[in-house]
Amino acid sequence: MKLQGEYLFDGPRERVWEMLRDPNALARALPGTQSLEKLSENEYQGQMHVRIGPVAGLFAGRVTISNEVPPESCTLAVDGKGSPGFATGSGDVVLTDQGDGTTRLQYEGEFQVGGKLAAVGQRMVDTVSKSIIRQGLESLNEALREGVTGAAELEPAAEPEAQPSTGYRPPTETRFAAAVAKDVVKDYAGDLMAPEHRAVWLTGLVAILAMLVGYALGRNAGHD
Amino acid sequence: MSPKYVGQRISRTEDPRLLTGQALFVDDVNIPGMLHAAFLRSDYAHARLNSIDVSAARSRPGVIAVYTAQDMGDAWQHGPPLVIPPPTIQNMVFHTRTQVPLVKDKVRLIGEPLAVVIAESRYIAEDALEDIIADLQPLEAVGDLERALRPGAPLVHEELGSNLAAHFFQEKGNYKSARQQADLVIQKRILIDRGIAAAMENRGIVAHWDPKSQRLTLWDTTQSPIPIRNGLAGMFGLAEHQVRVIAPFVGGGFGPKIMMFYAEEMVLTWATLQIGRPIKWIEDRRENFYATTQERGQVHDAEMALTSDGRILGVRDSFLHDTGAYDPYGLTIPLNTQCHVLGPYDVPNYYAETTVVFTNRMIATPVRGAGRPQGVFVVERLLDLAARKLDMDRVEIRKRNLLPPDVFPYNNQIIDQAFAPLVLDSGNYLPLLEQAATRIGYQPFIREEQPRLRAEGKHVGIGVVMFIETTGVGPYEGARVTVEASGRISVATGVGTQGQGHFTSFAQIVADQLGVNIRDVELVTGDTAEFHWGTGTFASRGAVVAANAIHAAARAVRGKILRLASKVLEAPEEELELADGQVRVADMPEKSISLGKLAVLANPLRGAVQPGTEPGLEATDYFGPQYGATAAGAHAMILEVDPETMMVEIKRYVAVEDCGTVLNPLILDGQVHGGVALGIGNSYYEKLVFDDNGQLLNASLADYLIAAATEVPRIEVGHGYTLSPLNPLGTKGAGEAGTLPVPALFAQALEDALADHRLEVVEMPLSPNRLFELLQAAQESASGR
Amino acid sequence: MDDRHRVTVTVNGAQFQQTVEPRLLLSDFLRHDLGLTGTHVGCEHGVCGACTVLFDGQPVRSCLMFAVQADGHEITTVEGLGTMDQLHPLQEAFRDAHGLQCGFCTPGILLTLIPFLEDNPNPSELEIREAISGNLCRCTGYQHIVDAVQLAAQRTSA
Repeated sequence: MKLQGEYLFDGPRERVWEMLRDPNALARALPGTQSLEKLSENEYQGQMHVRIGPVAGLFAGRVTISNEVPPESCTLAVDGKGSPGFATGSGDVVLTDQGDGTTRLQYEGEFQVGGKLAAVGQRMVDTVSKSIIRQGLESLNEALREGVTGAAELEPAAEPEAQPSTGYRPPTETRFAAAVAKDVVKDYAGDLMAPEHRAVWLTGLVAILAMLVGYALGRNAGHD
Repeated sequence: MSPKYVGQRISRTEDPRLLTGQALFVDDVNIPGMLHAAFLRSDYAHARLNSIDVSAARSRPGVIAVYTAQDMGDAWQHGPPLVIPPPTIQNMVFHTRTQVPLVKDKVRLIGEPLAVVIAESRYIAEDALEDIIADLQPLEAVGDLERALRPGAPLVHEELGSNLAAHFFQEKGNYKSARQQADLVIQKRILIDRGIAAAMENRGIVAHWDPKSQRLTLWDTTQSPIPIRNGLAGMFGLAEHQVRVIAPFVGGGFGPKIMMFYAEEMVLTWATLQIGRPIKWIEDRRENFYATTQERGQVHDAEMALTSDGRILGVRDSFLHDTGAYDPYGLTIPLNTQCHVLGPYDVPNYYAETTVVFTNRMIATPVRGAGRPQGVFVVERLLDLAARKLDMDRVEIRKRNLLPPDVFPYNNQIIDQAFAPLVLDSGNYLPLLEQAATRIGYQPFIREEQPRLRAEGKHVGIGVVMFIETTGVGPYEGARVTVEASGRISVATGVGTQGQGHFTSFAQIVADQLGVNIRDVELVTGDTAEFHWGTGTFASRGAVVAANAIHAAARAVRGKILRLASKVLEAPEEELELADGQVRVADMPEKSISLGKLAVLANPLRGAVQPGTEPGLEATDYFGPQYGATAAGAHAMILEVDPETMMVEIKRYVAVEDCGTVLNPLILDGQVHGGVALGIGNSYYEKLVFDDNGQLLNASLADYLIAAATEVPRIEVGHGYTLSPLNPLGTKGAGEAGTLPVPALFAQALEDALADHRLEVVEMPLSPNRLFELLQAAQESASGR
Repeated sequence: MDDRHRVTVTVNGAQFQQTVEPRLLLSDFLRHDLGLTGTHVGCEHGVCGACTVLFDGQPVRSCLMFAVQADGHEITTVEGLGTMDQLHPLQEAFRDAHGLQCGFCTPGILLTLIPFLEDNPNPSELEIREAISGNLCRCTGYQHIVDAVQLAAQRTSA
């Protein structure tokens, strides 16, 4: 499966790069992260618990960063596994200074998914991945605009009251998943053969898938 | 004696239980102290298992045990081969590789079980699956049959040095020289892909070892309880009498439920022997897409040599067959394919070559049709393409090649799935074809209706195809018929039942023989404690092999009744008649005795009996046919396709079947309808989609589409009656017939509907998407020319 | 899953009180907690329709609901229709028209049809096919099911 896309950040390239390198900033943009461990200069391992409706699963992911050219580009290899399946792949991320104080992020990669993700989610993978990436990047962009740096410690993001200092509120698991699910259901509701029930069922799965792909990509950028 | 029940549309005796929720299915079994199992399955199609850590799962509250291959010790063994390859075919290569209960070192198919959790509830067992850490090192997977045979392909079984599972050929006449005389040779590559059986009930097992009575009881959704009993006893060192296998009401079989031994059957039996408590495992629907056998994947390179007037000189078919990661079912499927390429036609020269290929997919075993639909598709497509080239009518080219009624028994000179020569026992094919063509209105349609509809811009097409079905193969089945003191009749047979109406059609035979009301005949099937000789329900053989065994046993009991009644009523046997549950003297009806009273007299509590006398009014008998009975049929359909949306609507469907004596036309119609519905799925809806890594991409009923009531048309059923000379009832099998011709028929009608697009269909299943691609390709090649 | 909930449900006219885990599916609750095994589970994702029961008179898929959601509601399962000796007219029509083979999907189909026939006592073949298009049957090809519904409708209107 190919993943490709771009996003425009409202900030200079160096600041975007800094944030993308900061695992704590990233973790806050992607809720549900239980642990994040630096294995070596270019390798991270993390765990993320996902619970949406009746489906729950723990994902373990590993990210390796290579070909790093700050603040322009890098290559990320991801390997994520959990009870709902696995996702592996690698991709290139390129940041371009737009010259007007904004920064264009472009990504392109090849991914494989397996297990439940592939079996029941494949026709949604594309949309979900794009959506999850956009949601994640939007959270980061919001943080960027609010001037939030990655200085804060990694902590559970599920309690928004814990970050009262700025206007930036990291999304909760539920809010995040719901946003992705909305995107996907919008895209695929037309395809669904049967009634309302199936949509509900799909929503849960979609959300799971979203979290995994999003996690993998989020970790992609995590580096300090 | 004219039959009162056989041949009648009798409603089924089993229905009240099924309709009121009182029928016992495996998942309904509930035993105090019962535990629940869940399996951890591989997410990879091909991987090395480096290690597996189950310690966290074991310590989860409510978990009783977690087992891996290592834990099974010496009990870990490959399943036994279920069907050996025919010993009579020369120069055959066959590599036996059978399934394992749990993966020990290497995952060979997607979903192969790695570990089992036994817990107080299914919910806890599934929770604990997430605690298990399996270190799997992914390997490149292989699914494409041609790629699998190329040098350097990933190997499913490394020690074999290639993915070749088997290779053999069969020959009739001399195709090469026939080809040299041909005016026309049609040569095509034909693809048929994998699908599932999707019985509405998934598989399930309850295994219960009772340490005090030293008995193992297994409730199993199997189509084959007796071989399961014998096999498990052998595998686990138990006496056969210690093992009881019960296949209660089974929610549809369609073939895969005859596979044995499934990993779960081996693991649950072993586990209950360890724990001494009953354990239940019920497959969920997603598991069913991985853990239950599948079928139909083949790639054919086929050609047909013909004269300019459309007569077949010979057929050559060389094909690859996907057996999945193991081949416990031998060559049943590809042998069926080879046999059914010959169809009802006079094919004087035939060369069939089969290469069976290992892939990283679930094992292939028969699914309703069992290789036959592929064979029918190949020959019918070749005939259609030849007719097109010769500008000949599709019905006419078939008529010219049908075997005439005076050639039977007709020996096709190759070996069939039962290792016997492919001899067509009987048949009369032309009337079937004519009946189908007349019923659908073939001539009026192509002359008047189709041109009129085409002028309105509609894309309507008609199709007519033929097929044979080899059915009712041996080795044998048996039955015991008993007259009870109540006057009721109990019948026990070894075959299990999965909805075919055996309780009724078998009872009809007995009721006629013994002159009782059908509601007084009670049938037990699929319980080894009741009857333990026989093989199972497969190959459209119930109404042939089991029915004739029941017929034989009922006749034997009738003989006993007459002998005893003759003494009691002091009248010669010839003057006695059996009716209304009585034996009476034909012209003195007041002189009679009820069967119940006679049964009591046959089983006295006191007094001497003559030496050699068997007690009771009971008999056990068996039936094994010399070879299989050949059913046949012709199907026709009219469909309309919308070339904008690619949606297809089947406007009319006619199925004409000849399955010899019909025991119950109501049940037969139902079998035909269901078979056709699956065939429609096989044509346009049902296809397993795998990616390059062997990942299954549509493992849910939301993505793998089963035809619903809105996709299946009303089916008009017609009949021919050529009785089989091979059994006393004259029956032939019918369970699979409906499915066989549908993809071939669908392809023909679709081509006809899209004649202006010059569409050529040489693959199945299609889908709206795939049809769109084919039309695009046809358009491009037309404009390119 | 320590938090358990008390639910009070009326099933086939009888009231049941049970304490259940919040994640317990309604289908599992009916089958395993109440022993009403006539409700069958075919796919656990709401496609096949085998587990259909009436929830306050409306057909729902019991595999897509939790037992706790049924608290205070009324459910009808296949056991609540007729008995073996006295079949419900729809059950009788299914027997007479051979509207079932393995019988696994049948309870769900019956319960889908009960409210359908109440709203639509004289349905056309197309209406019947649409009504049961959310119930998969692998045995019958649906034709005898359609016949059974028509038979039931005829008998009721006669």
